[in-house]
Amino acid sequence: MNAAPSKPLPHERIRLIGTPVGRMVRIDDFDDEIDPLQREQLHAYGLSAAHAVKVLQQQPMTVLLCEHVELAIEHAVSRHIWVQPA
Amino acid sequence: MDCAASPSSATAAVLRTLALVGHPNVGKSVLFHRLTGTYVTVSNYPGTTVEVSRATPRFDREASLLDTPGVLALPSRSDDERATMRALLHEDMRTLIQVGDAKNLRRTLNLTALLAELGVPMVMALNMTDEAKARGVTVDSSALAAALGVPVVATVATGGEGVAALTDALARAAVPAPLLRYDPVLERDIARVEQLILAQCPHPRLAARGLAILAIGRDPEVEAWLAAQANSETVRAALAELTAPIGRDSLPARLARERGGAAEALARTVTQQAAGKDRTLSMLLGRIAVHRLWGWPMLLGVLYLVYLFVGDFGASTLVGLLEEDFFGEVLNPAVTEFVTSHISTPWLADLIVGEYGLWTMGMTYALALILPIVTTFFLAFGVLEDSGYFSRLSVIANRMFAAIGLNGRAVLPMVLGLGCVTMATLTTRILHTPRERLITIYLMALAIPCSAQLGVVLGLGCVTMATLTTRILHTPRERLITIYLMALAIPCSAQLGVVLGLLGGISFGATLIWVLAIVGVLLFTGWLASKVVPGRRVPLVTELPPMRMPVLGNVLKKTGGRLKWYLIEVIPLFLIGTLIMFGLDRSGALPWIIEAGEPLVVGWLGLPPEASAAFVMGFLRRDFGASGLFALQSELSMIQAVVGMVTITLFVPCIASLMMIIKEQGMKVAALMLAMIIPTAFLIGGLLNHGLRLIF
Repeated sequence: MNAAPSKPLPHERIRLIGTPVGRMVRIDDFDDEIDPLQREQLHAYGLSAAHAVKVLQQQPMTVLLCEHVELAIEHAVSRHIWVQPA
Repeated sequence: MDCAASPSSATAAVLRTLALVGHPNVGKSVLFHRLTGTYVTVSNYPGTTVEVSRATPRFDREASLLDTPGVLALPSRSDDERATMRALLHEDMRTLIQVGDAKNLRRTLNLTALLAELGVPMVMALNMTDEAKARGVTVDSSALAAALGVPVVATVATGGEGVAALTDALARAAVPAPLLRYDPVLERDIARVEQLILAQCPHPRLAARGLAILAIGRDPEVEAWLAAQANSETVRAALAELTAPIGRDSLPARLARERGGAAEALARTVTQQAAGKDRTLSMLLGRIAVHRLWGWPMLLGVLYLVYLFVGDFGASTLVGLLEEDFFGEVLNPAVTEFVTSHISTPWLADLIVGEYGLWTMGMTYALALILPIVTTFFLAFGVLEDSGYFSRLSVIANRMFAAIGLNGRAVLPMVLGLGCVTMATLTTRILHTPRERLITIYLMALAIPCSAQLGVVLGLGCVTMATLTTRILHTPRERLITIYLMALAIPCSAQLGVVLGLLGGISFGATLIWVLAIVGVLLFTGWLASKVVPGRRVPLVTELPPMRMPVLGNVLKKTGGRLKWYLIEVIPLFLIGTLIMFGLDRSGALPWIIEAGEPLVVGWLGLPPEASAAFVMGFLRRDFGASGLFALQSELSMIQAVVGMVTITLFVPCIASLMMIIKEQGMKVAALMLAMIIPTAFLIGGLLNHGLRLIF
């Protein structure tokens, strides 16, 4: 997926893996390390630019609440997802 | 598994076809049951349906309704998604019923955006509106119907709400209005492929524009369909040119992104979000189940409850009542008396009620020993399936599976393998890469015991806990029969009871070492397999369905269906096994087999000579072998018990599982697996034997 229209400055965004539990964030961008098929999968789950998600836990995996659906994302993926404060 | 719904077949294609399509775990199979009266297995985890099922709907006896595997998105990627795409391409598709999740309309509409382009009349069932309501989500169905141009019906399939309205709405099914126009550059490319398809190889039902979008998205089933069409060279040449670049700005990625944007825009206009409950018991349990600390005690608690129900209640109490009290005291003496008084030919009477009798051995073991164990196991399994717990297991098991080159998603087929490896082999279709599927199937065939076998192991644990204090001590002849028959050999009376202390001492260590050995082999061979099988590991991204209270009716239906299927498979094999035993006994071949297997079984594994027969019959069913060894427990030392159980657990998969592996992976792979599994079983068993002898 592409960056959101008004891309935040690098210091405003953080990696999903580093987002504190309980925080609402918006998806900002994916690193190139996420392969196209996994990118499609994330997109199909609803993780797309500017979409708000809530971080429910970070261990043993990142668990998000995305529109009332809980998604579990392995750290190998969540460290390559950039988010910004909602 | 349920066989009531027939799998998709060409013979039924003459009927006009309707299909339930939608995301995984949105209730398609429940609706299928409501609309047809035909039960297919329903569970609370994504990937329950991996094959297309077909039945005649109640509302139109001239039509055929398909229940398709869930699709996370189209173009299809995984094998279950491809099965759905194949149905769309090759069936005489007249109406689509898209089943959507009311609490996640955006995702539902993301799929609608593509289905709408296929030009097939459609109705939308917005399911799970009760769960949406509990979370404060309201969808304006009328506004959504107006925007899509198709009927939209709110349903709660589990309670039957809205099903009648959905049936009525089918008469008003219409081709949906497109949700979006892609950007001009994409539209130009789509139009180019669309025109080529229209000119060269039009599909009888599906719109060329939808096929063009799927083909540009590199859907393998659409590519295969195109390849099978005459005159499709120019289409394929154009596609090769368009889809060459891969990456974030590839055509498939851009198409998907634009569909997502359109779905989000529409969802926002028709959905209202009020304050919902943000803390329910279901949510709390769901969080605990995947908590990094509390998840493990919860897992242990669940396993302990399953153990109590299957190992204690099923394998001890119920087996005792059935095998010892009913069959041993009442039924078998009556049958024996009847047969001996009516059949004058001694060998024929012996075949039915003798030591190797079809009734006294085959049917007794199938019905009095195996049946109570698998019944309790399937009940416990059904409750766990419907609770949504299995999906959450994938989170806490992910790290362990990462060590063997898989991700936590593979936990589902492996857990299902405890029920039956045969069916679990099919479930590997939910895995995304051929590499994941190959490794998972191999590990299941090698190291996952099926329910009956697990019951034997749990039964051993029961003895450990002294819930069953005495067992029949078989005569050598009886032991031989039991080994050969490979049935669960719980003694039929307590004439020669086993000393509690001895059994407790053996089985406590046996159970613990068995678990460690099997997990160790699973991890080690999995690690090796992950190094050998080419490809890379796919990190886990998965949906966690809400924890739900299991519906008793559904659990009972599933258990009934599984028992029916299990007995259909087990009883003939038990009878065949008995017949083989009878023949071997009459021909005097048994001693020869025992002698021939002595170097391996006695020399390497350190087991008694009679155990040779257990392994011979293990080719028929692995759990029979475990049962045969279990029957020898009073003669086995702790080391022999552990070595025997570990070896037979790792032994060849049953015939049905082998057939399924051949179907899924081909003869060559199945033969290779078999060639690796048998030596591995004996190698591990022998090493364990010699290792334990050094320690104890």
